Amino acid sequence: MAFIKLDSASKIYETAQALRGVDLEVEQGQWLNIVGPSGSGKSTLLNVIGGLDSLSSGNVVIDGAEITGLSEDAMAVFRRERIGFVFQQAHLIPYLNAVENVMLSQYFHSMSDEDEAIEALKRVGLGHRLTHRPSQLSGGEQQRVCIARALINSPKLLLADEPTGNLDRENTRIILELLKKLHQEEHFTIILVTHDPFVSQWGQRIITMEDGKIKCDEFICYL
Amino acid sequence: MVFFKKSISERKGRVAIASFAVVLAVTAITGLLGITVGIREKLGTELRAYGANIVVYTEAGAYLTEDFGARISAMSNVEEATSQLMANVVFENMSFESVGLDFQQIKGRGWRLSGNWPKEQGEILVGINLKSALKLEAGKRIKLVGQGNSGPGKEFLVAGFVEMGGNEDNAFILSLPDLWSITGLAPKVSAVLVRGMPGALDAVVANIKRDFKDVSVKTMRQVAVAEDLLLQKIQLLLALITIVVLFSASVSVASTMGATVLERRKEIGLMKAIGATKKEIGLFYKVEAVFIGLCGGIGGFIIGFAVIQAVSKGAFNSFVNIPFYIFGAAVSIGVAVSVFSSLIPVRGALKYNSAAILRGD
Repeated sequence: MAFIKLDSASKIYETAQALRGVDLEVEQGQWLNIVGPSGSGKSTLLNVIGGLDSLSSGNVVIDGAEITGLSEDAMAVFRRERIGFVFQQAHLIPYLNAVENVMLSQYFHSMSDEDEAIEALKRVGLGHRLTHRPSQLSGGEQQRVCIARALINSPKLLLADEPTGNLDRENTRIILELLKKLHQEEHFTIILVTHDPFVSQWGQRIITMEDGKIKCDEFICYL
Repeated sequence: MVFFKKSISERKGRVAIASFAVVLAVTAITGLLGITVGIREKLGTELRAYGANIVVYTEAGAYLTEDFGARISAMSNVEEATSQLMANVVFENMSFESVGLDFQQIKGRGWRLSGNWPKEQGEILVGINLKSALKLEAGKRIKLVGQGNSGPGKEFLVAGFVEMGGNEDNAFILSLPDLWSITGLAPKVSAVLVRGMPGALDAVVANIKRDFKDVSVKTMRQVAVAEDLLLQKIQLLLALITIVVLFSASVSVASTMGATVLERRKEIGLMKAIGATKKEIGLFYKVEAVFIGLCGGIGGFIIGFAVIQAVSKGAFNSFVNIPFYIFGAAVSIGVAVSVFSSLIPVRGALKYNSAAILRGD
């Protein structure tokens, strides 16, 4: 049984239809990249899978749980148990340092554990930047804090929306290498949205979105 | 807890602005509450200068006894009771009205005095109209004899002259023991002048009529009604001002808190994305609002307290006692204003689609 399954997923906004009956299955532990031009529906697809947006019709099943009809709070609980998010912008709390930003995710999940948070930051190569605030970190470092925060609760699914969109090539490579290493170690599922062809070649599968539909679905060699 | 502490300690400027808005609100409300409570006491003291507002007497020719005054004083809602004796005295073969009373009890109660206030027995005051008619001067000694009394009378020192605009202006004012001594009427009194609490005069009158069967009780309506109306109007005015201030202060705090919450929309969106429920996010901001309310409430009370004392000192030349519950009320109002003012913007922010917020839409 697929880890993620979308059946006829459609999303209609007031002025446009972002998804048009998308069917998709993703296996547990797979790294899937979603590419496509702006407005093709790739971010909407990611948000629907993460429960940040709701479907107009169709349904989504993740890890055997039908999430389509869940209330906002029930979806929040589901999200903190099984999903980690990384966004294009770092979205770190400016008045908290790196460790505390990671601990915030623990706080809403169960209990904050500083040692665990420090360990997570060491795994992303930030053992020397633990008490730095976001304003004292580079863009690449901020994104690594976000990855540590997303993975601190050991989610089964990592959703990344243009995680390297604001980074230069060197930092992009660092982030992708890090994701690859963690993916190989922990075998969580990754769905990553990007418009960067370089980024899209990292992973095991690429789907190309166009006008709210999956235009192309191809498996690639895992770098 | 660490997030809450950091949220406060690392955002001192924002917290200070929000707290300042609460301080302003609570200062205004504490000031008005304090003045409302304190001014009644102060005004009551000031209004006491107008004298009695109830008279207890018997029918013509009859007298009460001196102990009536003490018994009425002991009644509830009675601030004080003064016994007075009205009798005629003879001076240089002419008959004049005289009033016997306790000088200490009526000292400073709206009597316009020229000369000195009598310090001991044997000293009297004279109504202002008699000063020129009888060619009297302060310091002069005169002899008064009780009319209808066969006694030799007594010599008195004229301490000063009084002007009340009433019958007293044509009378000799003696201490009660002095008048008793020359009239032989001890321990009789003609009337007991009662100072009842404004607003409770009807109850005082009912109590006197219940406890003393053969007396007449008259309310000095003009004084009583005027006092009551004055106090009621002042309290109503202050209550209206308090409501207006509370409303405008709440709007001010709400807009400050609203701006603060709007600035933190991304923070709220992020919390939702990492799995916080609406209740958990709401609690986070409520705790912060309670802290801001407590700081603003305590600060506002301290400033408001100082304002009240300054007003009281200026208006009444004395400080006012503020009951402790005003402190509790001020802090509670601060917390309530802060929490309720942040509820609407937080609820509004919680309704936003977190995906849109985090995209920066």
